[in-house]
Parts: sequence; C-alpha cells; structure tokens
Amino acid sequence: MAALIGNDILDIGSRKARRQREDPMAPGFAFGAPGQFDIPNVADPAAYCRSNFASVCGTGDEDQSVKFMKGTTTLAFKFNGGVIVSVDSRSTMGAYISSGTVKKVIEINPFLLGTMAGGAADCSFWERNLGMECRLYELRNGRRISVAGASKLLANVMSSYRGYGLSMGTMIAGWDEKGPQLYYVDDDGTRLKGKIFSVGSGSTYAYGVLDNYYREDLTIEEAVDLGKRAIYHAAHRDAASGGINNLYHMTKDGFVKVHSIDVNDMHYQFAEERARAMQS
Amino acid sequence: MGDSAYSFSLTTFSRTGKLLQIEYALNAVANGRTSLGICAKDGVVIATDKKLTSELVDVAHVHKVELLTPSCGVCYSGVGPDYRVLVQRARKSSQVYLTTYGEVQPVSQLVKQTAGVMQEYTQRGGVRPFGISLLVGGVDGDGTPRLYQVDPSGTFFQWKATAIGKNYVNAKNFLEKRFTEDMELEDAIHTALLTLREGFEGEMNCDNIEVGVVRNGKFNVLTPEQIQDYLDEAN
Amino acid sequence: MSILEYNGAAIIAMAGDGCVGIAADRRLGAQLHTIATDFTKCFRMAPKLYVGLGGLATDVQTLHQLLEFRMNLYTLKEEREMTPQVFSHLLSHLLYEKRFGPYFVEPVVCGLDEKGEPFLSGMDLIGAPVTAKDFVVTGTCTGNLFGMCESLYKPKMNPDELFECLAQSLLSSVDRDSVSGWGGIVHIITKDNVITRELKGRMD
Repeated sequence: MAALIGNDILDIGSRKARRQREDPMAPGFAFGAPGQFDIPNVADPAAYCRSNFASVCGTGDEDQSVKFMKGTTTLAFKFNGGVIVSVDSRSTMGAYISSGTVKKVIEINPFLLGTMAGGAADCSFWERNLGMECRLYELRNGRRISVAGASKLLANVMSSYRGYGLSMGTMIAGWDEKGPQLYYVDDDGTRLKGKIFSVGSGSTYAYGVLDNYYREDLTIEEAVDLGKRAIYHAAHRDAASGGINNLYHMTKDGFVKVHSIDVNDMHYQFAEERARAMQS
Repeated sequence: MGDSAYSFSLTTFSRTGKLLQIEYALNAVANGRTSLGICAKDGVVIATDKKLTSELVDVAHVHKVELLTPSCGVCYSGVGPDYRVLVQRARKSSQVYLTTYGEVQPVSQLVKQTAGVMQEYTQRGGVRPFGISLLVGGVDGDGTPRLYQVDPSGTFFQWKATAIGKNYVNAKNFLEKRFTEDMELEDAIHTALLTLREGFEGEMNCDNIEVGVVRNGKFNVLTPEQIQDYLDEAN
Repeated sequence: MSILEYNGAAIIAMAGDGCVGIAADRRLGAQLHTIATDFTKCFRMAPKLYVGLGGLATDVQTLHQLLEFRMNLYTLKEEREMTPQVFSHLLSHLLYEKRFGPYFVEPVVCGLDEKGEPFLSGMDLIGAPVTAKDFVVTGTCTGNLFGMCESLYKPKMNPDELFECLAQSLLSSVDRDSVSGWGGIVHIITKDNVITRELKGRMD
C-alpha cells in the first residue's frame, strides 16, 4: 500500500480520478489522500458538475466569459529586495461577512508562499497538496524545487480538473536558485510569470495603487508600505475586501511575516497623516 | 364636448363686467327653500325647509340633508338635481382623501374641493353653473366645528350663522339678533328651528323640515322623532 | 442579486420614552464598488418626523423628492403639519400607486405625534405597512439589525440610552454586512429638539 501511495500522489493531476476499484474499507487505504476523487458516473462528468453543483463551483457564473475572483484582494510584486505578498482577511457569503480574520497567505514551505482567492477549500487543499509535492521533490532530488516547477505542478492539477468547477486564483511567490520568483495560477489552468499581480474583486483598486507607485528599486520599507497601502485602498473601496492586512516578505533566506494590521486602524492613521500634511 | 355646437362656456361676461349666468343662478338659489345653519362652540346645526309641491309625495324618502364624511354634512337651497351631483363629487373627494392620508377629510378641505367644482362649472364649455348654494357643517383637522356656505360662483365663506334660499334676508336678521358667541349646541338647534319657523309658509312640523347636527365630531341627520322632541320643547 | 441590494443600506428606527431615533449608514455603492461614504438615507420631513429610505439609491432620491412635494402641498393646503400616522399612510399609498412598477425602496418612518408619543412604521416596496412599538429596520442586513435590536433594546429608554442603543446596533450590524457601513448617522427626536450625531465606523 505504501508504494501505491507514492505513485498515486504524483498521479493526481495527470490521471484525474480514474477510480481504483479496490475495497475502500481495506486496511491501509489512504483515506483523505488526494489521489482519487469520486466523479459522477455519467458521460460528461464535467458538464454534470457544472449544471448540478453550481453553488460549490465557486461563482456560479459559468456563462460569463470572464470569471471574477470574488470577495477578496490579494497582491504580490517582485522588486530588487525580494517579493512582497500582501492580502486582506475578509470572507463573504453573498453580502454577509462570514469572517474578518481569514489567513489568505498559505505558507507552503519557508521558500514558497501561496495566496488564496476564490474558493477557500479549493485553494487551501491544493496548495497544501502542493506543499507535499514540493517536499517529496526535495526528498527525491536533494534540492528545493524551483518556483517555476512548483507553480507548474499546481497549474497541471488545475488543467486536469478544468471544467469541474474548481475555483482558485492564486499567486505563488518564492525564492529559488535564480532569485525571487512570482507566478499567477488560476482554475482555468492559466499560469503566468510576472512582476506585479493582484487577484480578487478588489484587484482593480490594488492595481491602481501598485501601477502608480511601483519601482524595481523600492527599498524594503517602501515596498512594504506600497503593499500595505494597495490593500488599504482596495479594502476601502471594495465591499468584499477588508479586515486585516497580512503582509509577507520573501527574502533569500525564506519568507518573513512583516505585519498584521487592521485595515480600519490604517484608515484613520492615513486620514491623520493627510490632515497633518494639509496643515503644513 | 370640444367640437359640439355648445363647446363654449355659457357663463360669459356682459359688457358691464358681470357674469349674468351666475346672477341668474343666485336667483335660482334665492327662490329655493330656506336653509340655515349655526355654528355653536361645541357643534354645528344645519336645517332646511323640506316642503314639497304635493301632499302626496312620500316625504320619508326625500333627503335634503346629506352626510359627506362621518364628521361632516351638507344641505342646500336651489335646484334639487344639481345638489345630487355635488354630493356625489364631495363624497368621492372625501374617499380619495381617506385612502390617501388615512384620515377623515377636514371640512375646510372638502369645502375647497367642492367650491373648486362649482367654479369649474362657471368657466368650462358646454355646462351651466350649479343652481344651488350649499351649507356645509363639520369639524376641521383640529376638531373645531365649522360652518361654510358655498355659492354657484365657487365662492365660499365661513359663518357663525347664516341662511340661504327664500326669505334668507329676514332669517339672517333674525339670526343676527339671536346668535351669541358662547352659544351651545342645544341652544343653537332651538334657535335654528325658531328661525326656520319665522319665515315658514304654513305649519312647520317634524316631516316638512330636515335637520343635521355635528355633535362630538360626528354628523347625524335628525329623525322626525328627534325633531318632534325639539319642537315640543320649544312649545 | 436583488435590485434592492444594489447600493447597500442599513437603517434602524427605534422608540424610547417620549423620544424616537433613527440611524442609518452612509455608504453608496454599486454592488461591491463603494462610490461614496457620505450618502444620505434619512430625511427630515417635518420638525418631528423622519423617514429612512433603504433600497435603490436613485429611487431613494426620487421618492424623497416626491414626498417633499406632497408634504409641501399638504402644509400649504391644510395649514398644518402632517402627523407621522398620516405621513406613513400617504407613503404607503404612493408606493402602492406604483404596484406594477414599484420604487425599489423599503422605507421606515419615525416621529413624535401631536401628543408627543413615538410613532414607528416600516413598509415593503409596494407599501404594506407594519407598525411597531419598539423598532423597525430596513436595508441589506435586516437579519443582523433585527438580531442586534432584539438584544439591545429595552423599553422606556431616555434619549442618551436610545442613542447608545441605536449606535451600537447599527455599527455591529454593518460590520457583518459587506455592502453597508462606512460610517453612520443617528438622529434622536425629542419633544424639544432633534439631536444629530455622526458615527465613526469601520471604513472597509
């Protein structure tokens, strides 16, 4: 059985869910192992999922040509000093705020951070799974996986479940042999390399701030401040974003959690700063 | 109406600046049966002569005093059928008011509205003015009793006491002598009957007059028995 | 999503001892996008009469203008002030007039009547009135608002207690609603005057 798990885990993405007809109750069967998911026994399981499980297929607006990641603001940008990953902490169910203290940065390992937008369950499950895969890679190869490789593993999973209604928009930030790295991966299987990304309903506001003040040669303090302000502005304007700003800095020695600040405290602090600037 | 031969207003100015149709209408009122009203400090009474052309008419089914709202009633002097049109309009208006505001229309509003209708009939094409004057008794928004007169021209006045129709000049003189500021309703009802009897042709009894009373903010038409009681008290 | 929730709102009207209060949030949004944080949803219709209009912002403003118009006409014609009871009835009537093409507004009315007694009413967008002795709420988080009012309300509050109750109920409710909040405003109507206070709220 043990040997079987090892192989199966690597099969998650490529051989989606061709269920093994083994006795599920047999001792040693790995419950909860992500290898195999039950799939509706119909001709087109993806279509069946779309039409019957819209409520858990993230947004339910499958007809839209552009699918938005609702109810969050996450951002990450690369600069000379590393990568800044900054997120809000709000979780909504419709208009109701179901939590204001969600951790949307997933610490995959000391050199890999993932962000969470879209379905919370999908994001956390697949990024935890990614962590496992990365650890296995390390054990097998005696060195850390590249960020490009890690993000590709996740993108492959997304591709293999394309159409089943997974909902995920994530940024994978890390530091590997080639320096700071940043990738965007989403549930369509899209995988992009870039310097600045922002995901979620508040992303447009965050981009506005980031695009305006971003420079490659920002100091660490400047970069932290930019990440913080971009989240603040998004949280202020976007109803579905807010709560606490969690900000991480990816350095060559691994990630550092820089701060956790209540967005509301930031608002009144910035207002005070503005008032003081006006006076002088 | 617009393209009929009579689409012009019948009420047009004479060379001397008078509206003769309105004056004729007032004549029609002056020829009508006498009506009078008194506004006491705690209520209003309106009364009218209900004498008919023939003894054979069943007077029990002739109504000259009508209820408009629970707190407001009206009587008239002049052309009977015209009265029914105005009563119907006034009742409709008060119901619209009630459904809009959820409150009984104050008598002042009802009078303004009715006077508006009467004015319209002095200016619109194809119609003639109403041949009646109205006496309206009721209570205002704040609960104070009020007595109004409305004329064919659309003019309206608030009175302490007044009379319209045949002999109205004498009746008014009589009222002027009898009216006092602190008059109470019971006193006012007696005075009203007394005034009506003054100019009455023939014997006045409980069947040939009609009386309406606003008491405690409620309007009621008196039954012949109730009128008889008042007449007996007077004798 | 309902058109009533397009702009976001949270409004409470509550009765105290010889006083009434109304509280509202300040946000104007277009779904999740916050456009303004100084929007007015509570309107003074007479010295001791306020109406809170929750729902589609364009209809909130149009209905407010219509109500102003009808109020002015009434005071001119009748030479007296409209009582809260009559106002509530008029509003209900105006809403039902548009039964098959309604204003997307759910109002609350609060005021002191001619005897100085509190009057509260709320209604749906086609004017079905509900009168209450304690409190009425409207907006996009009525569940939250009812829950807060239900637990904080007590009978016979003085103006200060009423303010505190309204402020706490509103702020706590909107902190669990994504499309309302961004500050608030409270009016306390007493027999002598109206006290208006602005509330500092979470700005996210």
